[in-house]
Amino acid sequence: MTYHTLLFALVTGLAVAAVMARSLLLSVLMLALVSVGASLILFNFQAPWAAVFELSVCAGLITALFIGAVTLVNPVRDKAPQAPDGSHERPISNGVKREDPADGESRMRFYAMPLVMAIAAIAAWFYAVPFFESLESWARFSSRSSTLGSIIWDLRRFDLLGQLSLLAAGVFALSSIFPGRKTQK
Amino acid sequence: MTGYFALDWYFITLIFFAGMYCMLVSRSLIRQLIGLEIMSKSCLLGIISTGALTNNLALSQALIIMMIVIEAVVVAVGLSLLVKNYRLTGSIDIWSLDNLKG
Repeated sequence: MTYHTLLFALVTGLAVAAVMARSLLLSVLMLALVSVGASLILFNFQAPWAAVFELSVCAGLITALFIGAVTLVNPVRDKAPQAPDGSHERPISNGVKREDPADGESRMRFYAMPLVMAIAAIAAWFYAVPFFESLESWARFSSRSSTLGSIIWDLRRFDLLGQLSLLAAGVFALSSIFPGRKTQK
Repeated sequence: MTGYFALDWYFITLIFFAGMYCMLVSRSLIRQLIGLEIMSKSCLLGIISTGALTNNLALSQALIIMMIVIEAVVVAVGLSLLVKNYRLTGSIDIWSLDNLKG
């Protein structure tokens, strides 16, 4: 077991923990740790630019977005008024019956996950690993050595246009989902 | 990091399976997005592993940077749709999305 393989095993364990975590907030934090582990793997692969992007965007920005969304949809239960029968049912507003979003989901499928993962791990060890070893012999090695800048600006210049279009589309979607309040004169 | 390709992809398969399992069994929209994130992490690791094998690390990094941008936009739009749906229906259950209203 080398440091490299240990990092992969750690990321796999953190991914399973993120899926199995009971609390949504804990799940999001585990996802952030998965991102940190992935960026450590990228650093280990001598890919620092991708690692920095992964660490700043995925472990930072996306985690902040997730935590914001969890906070918005999952308010603190202790302060929520409880129904007389002790359930977390909230008062009816606008004709919509509001229930606690965390309730009503069966946990049994998540408790079965370690068993399913163990079966998948054993099956993959016997079937997937020989397949990947056969794929390794098909690899075509690149002869030229290029830098990231030359790849982005020369070879994949069209991708930048796609990225900018996608960012603009995201901003447009967000502004149409949450329109700003018009000021009344 | 050559010589670890098959073992790397073994773990990548497991990470992808964990994300797929999360998306399959979960009814919460947030957990669906978390599963999507885990699957995209495994794809990211697959790209860098293949790039390291074929001596194409620069191209892999360019692809990963593009992928991270796409991922951030998808998650931002998905979470905003989720919050909007929660304000409208009071639920983040995926089965609450089964009606259409203009």
